[in-house]
Amino acid sequence: MKKKKFNVYPYLLVAPAMLIIMCVVFIPVVNAIGMSFQSYDLRRPKDIAFIGLANYIEIFQDPLFWQSLWKTILWVVFGVGLQFVFGFILALLLNKSFKGRGLVRAVSLIPWVTPGVLIGLMWRWMYDGNYGVLNDIFRKLHLITDNIPFLSQTSTAFPAVVTTIIWQGIPFFALMILAGLQGIPGELYEAADIDGATGIQKLFRITIPSIKNTIMITALLRVIWVANSVDVIFNMTEGGPAYSTQTLSVYIFNKANTLDMGYASAMAIILALVLCTVAIPYLIFTFKEEDN
Amino acid sequence: MKKRLLALLLSTVMVASLVACGGGKEAADEKTDDTTEESKIEPCTINFTYWADNTDYSALMQDIIKKFNEENEYGIEVVGEEIPWDGGGYSNTLFNTAMGGGSTDVATFKLSATPMFVNNDLLADLTPLVDAWEDKDDISDNIYSVMRKAGGDDKAMYVMPWNTQILYVYYRPSIFEKAGVEVPKTYDELMTAIEKCTMDTDGDGKTDVYGWGMRGSSGGQEPWGSFIYANGGSFDDFTTDESVAGMQDFIDIYTNGWCPPSAPSDGFQETVANFKSGLTAMFIHHIGSSKGMVEELGDDVGAFAFPASDKGRWTSMGDTETVMFESCENKEAAFEWMKYLAAYDGQEMWCEGTGQVPVSQRVQKLDYFQNDPFMKVSFEGMDFAGIVPILDTTTEWITSWKDVVQQGLTGDKTAAECMETMQKTLYQ
Amino acid sequence: MRKQSIGKRFLMTYLPLIALLIFILFPFYWTFLTSIKPEAELYGAVTYWPSAVIWDNYKKLFTTTVDFLKAMKNSFIVASITTVVSLTASTLAAYAFSRYRFKGRKFMMALFLSNNMFPTVLLLIPLYSIMRNLKLLYTPWALVLAYTTFTLPFSVWLLNGFFNDLPMSLEEAALVDGCNRRMAFFKIILPILGPSLVATGVYIFMTSWNEYTFAVMFTNNASRTIPVALKSLIGQLGVDWGLLTAGGIITIIPVCIMFFFAQKRLVEGLTAGAVKG
Repeated sequence: MKKKKFNVYPYLLVAPAMLIIMCVVFIPVVNAIGMSFQSYDLRRPKDIAFIGLANYIEIFQDPLFWQSLWKTILWVVFGVGLQFVFGFILALLLNKSFKGRGLVRAVSLIPWVTPGVLIGLMWRWMYDGNYGVLNDIFRKLHLITDNIPFLSQTSTAFPAVVTTIIWQGIPFFALMILAGLQGIPGELYEAADIDGATGIQKLFRITIPSIKNTIMITALLRVIWVANSVDVIFNMTEGGPAYSTQTLSVYIFNKANTLDMGYASAMAIILALVLCTVAIPYLIFTFKEEDN
Repeated sequence: MKKRLLALLLSTVMVASLVACGGGKEAADEKTDDTTEESKIEPCTINFTYWADNTDYSALMQDIIKKFNEENEYGIEVVGEEIPWDGGGYSNTLFNTAMGGGSTDVATFKLSATPMFVNNDLLADLTPLVDAWEDKDDISDNIYSVMRKAGGDDKAMYVMPWNTQILYVYYRPSIFEKAGVEVPKTYDELMTAIEKCTMDTDGDGKTDVYGWGMRGSSGGQEPWGSFIYANGGSFDDFTTDESVAGMQDFIDIYTNGWCPPSAPSDGFQETVANFKSGLTAMFIHHIGSSKGMVEELGDDVGAFAFPASDKGRWTSMGDTETVMFESCENKEAAFEWMKYLAAYDGQEMWCEGTGQVPVSQRVQKLDYFQNDPFMKVSFEGMDFAGIVPILDTTTEWITSWKDVVQQGLTGDKTAAECMETMQKTLYQ
Repeated sequence: MRKQSIGKRFLMTYLPLIALLIFILFPFYWTFLTSIKPEAELYGAVTYWPSAVIWDNYKKLFTTTVDFLKAMKNSFIVASITTVVSLTASTLAAYAFSRYRFKGRKFMMALFLSNNMFPTVLLLIPLYSIMRNLKLLYTPWALVLAYTTFTLPFSVWLLNGFFNDLPMSLEEAALVDGCNRRMAFFKIILPILGPSLVATGVYIFMTSWNEYTFAVMFTNNASRTIPVALKSLIGQLGVDWGLLTAGGIITIIPVCIMFFFAQKRLVEGLTAGAVKG
C-alpha cells in the first residue's frame, strides 16, 4: 500500500468535493472569522474597526453566554445521547424480519421528512397549555390533574424542546446504523451461535465492534448538527421563557439577526472550538487506528 | 507564520467585503444624477418584494399589482415577489439580499427596521419625490413626521406610509355580563374588570375564565406599553418609578392568576385562540383580526380603546410602510407604485380587503371605513397612539423584550431589575 | 435465533417497536388530524377524530396563491440534482480518504469536518454575493451548489466510516484475482456499499428538501421550494393550521413512498455483493 511514488489519483478523487467547498464557503468563513476581531456591528457600519480580542473578552464576561453554553452542552448530551439510544434500538428492530417491515421502515423516517418549519409549530401546538393534546392525554391517564403550560415554565420548557429534537433525530441514527448493520458478514453470527453466545453477548462482541466507525462518525456529525440547530427551538420557544431554552446557536442567531455580526461571529468561533474538543480526540483516535 | 496568517486573513476579508459591497455602490453612483432632473417616466419594470399574512392577502396584493400594471399610464410593470413574514425574519432576508447586491426596487416594510437599512445607505430618500407629489397632503403631516423620525434625520424621509394598525382592547360582552362589569372607562376600572372577569364558572375550584389574555412572548411589548404609560411611565426612561409601577401592574396580572398560566409563552396565535374559545375575557390586538372574530363570534365580541388614567394614556400604533431601495434605477416609476399603494386604488383595495386603517384621509372618509365599529375604535385611539422609539438598538430591544419580561413574570427578577435591563438594551 | 417463543418475540421485538412507533408517528397523526379538522374544533375540548372530516385544505393548497405543486416540483428537482452531485463527489473523496494514504489527507479530512461547525446565519450576505456574481440566483443551481457544499462534509465522513467498516478482504481478493482498482471499485465496493449509499443519499435528499434559509434568499416566485411555500402560510395574524398541516402531509407522503422502494436496497447489502463478486 505505502508506495513512495507520488500518486495523483487520490487528489483527483478529492478534487471535485474540495473545489465546491472552496468556491462556496471559503470566503464567507474567512470573512466571518475576520468579523470576530472587529466591532462589526452593521447597525453602525461607520464605526467598524479592528478591536482585537475585545469581542471575546466581552463574551467571557457575559453571563448569558455562559448560561447558553451550559444549555448547549445539556442540549447536545441529552439530545444526541437519547437520539442514539432510541435510533440504535430502532435500527436493531428494523433489521429483524417481520411482516410489513418495508412499510415500518418507510414510516419510521417521518420525523426526518417533516419540514423543519412544521416540526416546531406542531410540537408547540401539542404542548399547548390550554388545548394541547399532551395535556389531554396526561389528564386522561391521571398523571396530572391540572394542565401544565409546558413551554411557559422555565422548569419544563427545556425538557420539552429536548424531547422534540430527540424525536426529530431518531431516524437519522436508525438509518445510518441500519445501513452499517448490513455490512456485517453473517458468518460472524453463525460462529457465535455455535459457541452458544447470548443475544447481549453478540450485541457487544460482534454488532457494536463491527459498526464502530459508523456509530462514532454518525454520533459526531449529529453532535455538530444538533449544536448548530436553531429552528426547532426557535419555532417552539424562541429561546424563552426567560432564556431557559436559549442555546448558544440561538443566541448567535439572535445576535446575528440584530446585526451585531462581530459579537455573533466571535461566539460562533467559540462554539466551533468547543465542538473541536469533541472532534479532535475523534480525529486523533481515527488516525491512530488507521496507522495500526 | 502568524503575520502571514494575519495578512492572508486581512486580504481575504478585504476581497470579501469588496465582493459584498460592490453591487450596492455601483448602483448608487449611477443613480445620483437622475433624481434631480425632471425626467419623463419611461416604461420599465419595478421589482416589488412584499410579505402576505395569509393567502387571501397574497391574492389581494396580486390583484392590486395586476390592476396597476393594466391601468398606469406610463407602461410601468410591477413584478411582485412574495417572501414569508417568518416571524419578522422578513426584514433580515430583505436586508441580507440588499447587502448582497440584490435587485429589489420597492418593498413593504416595518418602521423598526429603518435604522439598519438607513445606516447602511440602502434606502432612497423620498423627500424630493414626495415634495413633487400633488396629493401629498392627503396623508397627515403627523404620519410623515413619524416616518422622518425613524430615519434619524429630520431632512430625509426614507419610508412611505401605507397603512397603520391601532391597538385596542377586544372584549367578550357575554363574559362581561356574567361578571357584572361594564366597559371600563378608566385604567382603574380596567384593572377591576380584569379581576372580576377571572372566574370559576363551573364551581370546581379552578379558574376557567381569565380576565386578561396576556401576550408574554414575541410582540408583547406593544400591549405591554399601555400599562407603562397608564402608570405615568414612558419609553423614554424605563427606570422611573412610574414605569416600574407599570411593569409591576403587568407582572401582578400574571401572579394574581388573572391571565392563563401559559401567558409567558403566549404569542399572537395563542392569545387570539384563548380569546375566541372564551378562556379569556379581554386581549389587545388591532383591527386586522376583527374580520375573523366577527365571523366566529358574531355579536359576542366588542372593542374599546385602552382607557385613560389620570397619569397617562398610550396605545401602540402598528405600522406597515413601503420603501424604495437606493439601487432602484427608475425612482420616479417606483414612486408611482408607492403612491398608488399609499393614496389611490391600491390604498382603497388593500385597506378594505384587509381591514387595516388607511393613511389616506380621502380613503378614511369612505363609507366603508366610517361605518365599521372596529375602525371607529381605531380612529379613537389615533390621538394617543405612539411607537417604540426607533433607534438602532430597537430590534435588539424587541428581541430581548420577551425574555426580560418572562424573567419578571417567573419571579427571577423584580420589576425594577427588568426595567433596568431594558433601559440598558435600548439606550446602551 | 429462530427458536424464540412467541412471548419472548413479542417482548423483544413488537413491544419496543410499537412503543417507538407511537412516539414517532403520533405527531404525524396529529398533523394529519389537524389538516382535516374544522378550524373551530382546534380550540376547545381535544378530539381524537374530527366531528366532520374536511378535505378543503388539500384542495385549497393547489388553488390559492401558494402554488404548492410548483413548489414540490422545484424542491424535487433541487433535491434530486443535489443528491446526485453531492453523492458522486463524496463517494469519490471518501474512497480516496479510505483507501489511499497521501500527503495532506489528514488536513483535508479535518477541514471537511470543520466545515459545518459554523452557523450559516453568519455566512448569508457573502454567500448571496457569490451566487449573484456566479449568475446563479433564482435558478435551481444556486440551491444545488449551496446544499452540495453543506452536505458534502457529512457525506464524505459518513461514507468514509462505511468504507472503513467494510472488510478489506473482499477487495484484496479481487485485486489478487487480477482486477485493477477501478474494476474492484465498480464491481465489488459499489454493490456492497449500496445500503450506505442509499442512507447517505437519503441524508442529502432530506437536507435539501427541508432547508429554508438559503431557499428564501436564492429563489424567486418561479423557483420557490416547499419550505418557503409552507412558511408563507404563517403570517403576522397567526398560522393557517389547516393549510400548513395539509402542506406538511403532502410533503411527507411522496418522500415516504420513495423511501419505501429505496429501503429494499438497504438490506440487499452483503448478500447481493457476494453473489456478484
